[in-house]
Amino acid sequence: MKAIYLIPAALLLFLPALARADLKWEQTSVDVNPTVTDKQAVGHFKYQNTGDQPVHFKSVKTSCGCTAARSQQDQVAPGEKGEITATLNIGDRVGQQVKTITVETDDPAHATTVLTMKANIPQLLELQPTFVFWQAGEEPKAKTISARVGKDIPVKELQITTQNNQFEAKVEKGSEPGVFRIDIKPKETKTTSFATFTVRPDYPKDAQKAFYISARVAGAPGAAVPPAAAPVAAASASPGK
Amino acid sequence: MKLGVFRQALLLILLAEVPAIGQAVYFRHKISWQSRVPATQLVNLPTVRTWGANVLWVDARASDDYETDHIPGAISLNEDHWNELLPQFLAQWSADRKVVVYCSAQSCNLAGEVARRLRDEAQLKNVFVLEGGWEEWVKNR
Repeated sequence: MKAIYLIPAALLLFLPALARADLKWEQTSVDVNPTVTDKQAVGHFKYQNTGDQPVHFKSVKTSCGCTAARSQQDQVAPGEKGEITATLNIGDRVGQQVKTITVETDDPAHATTVLTMKANIPQLLELQPTFVFWQAGEEPKAKTISARVGKDIPVKELQITTQNNQFEAKVEKGSEPGVFRIDIKPKETKTTSFATFTVRPDYPKDAQKAFYISARVAGAPGAAVPPAAAPVAAASASPGK
Repeated sequence: MKLGVFRQALLLILLAEVPAIGQAVYFRHKISWQSRVPATQLVNLPTVRTWGANVLWVDARASDDYETDHIPGAISLNEDHWNELLPQFLAQWSADRKVVVYCSAQSCNLAGEVARRLRDEAQLKNVFVLEGGWEEWVKNR
């Protein structure tokens, strides 16, 4: 009597395994290592249909708008190979970026597969902090920003400029290679002001990248900051300086 | 007879549990809807509304989405153009205002990343991520 129930149940569980589509992924997680000059990080997810039925892609969706993914084809015939390519626009991202791609197919055994791309984006220059501020009336002492060049990146010099002459900046080489010290100070803190400093490393020569430091003298809470424009002041640090 | 059917049903459920548990263990760190933002840094919309004008909204979505629509007064700050947009945000920031970052959905980690960089790189305090993101705002606007 028990067999009457168990046999159909077992058939329901195991029969689909006998004849089916079967999309096998070479790997569902890939690590990519773009260089400092790359604008995009690209990951390839290879697959093969090892079943005897074709597989159709129903959708390929990415976890954020910064990543695009596309499949080479909409349908994968039995035995056929292919890949999904995921492209991350690096923009101003740094460090490890984990993006997922959700692939939906009509393969009942693997209806949804989540692919993971880990992009390790090298940091050309780390500024810490990127923002310094003084309260109105505070003593106008210099505040220090540490600038650390990424590992194995041959930056020898930093140039810093601003359009606001209410602030002064000084760049010095640090105690070890690839480390700089940037001192910023307002000339006075009686009036509110805001400045953006542009920091340019001397590498890569053909695709110089700008980094920014903001400095502000804040007035009463919530007070608006007037935009300031003034002649460019520049400072730089290089070996021997 | 009734006991037999019950036992068979139980057996089938137990059989189904085996792959389910296996999947749960294998994917324990890969759950796509899992938020990487610690609970203490999340804030819900009713709480933000109690803060009144002391809120500086930050839209972490792509610039196109921001251009289409955004929370009134929100400032665009995303990682596509971080270096360019951060100074514009800092010019508006003040220490007495709480910063609330949002992106398009809770499963999207853009807001979490922007909030983390504001805390770590600009060393700002009182930076939060909106629970439910942009969709939550649209539902309750």
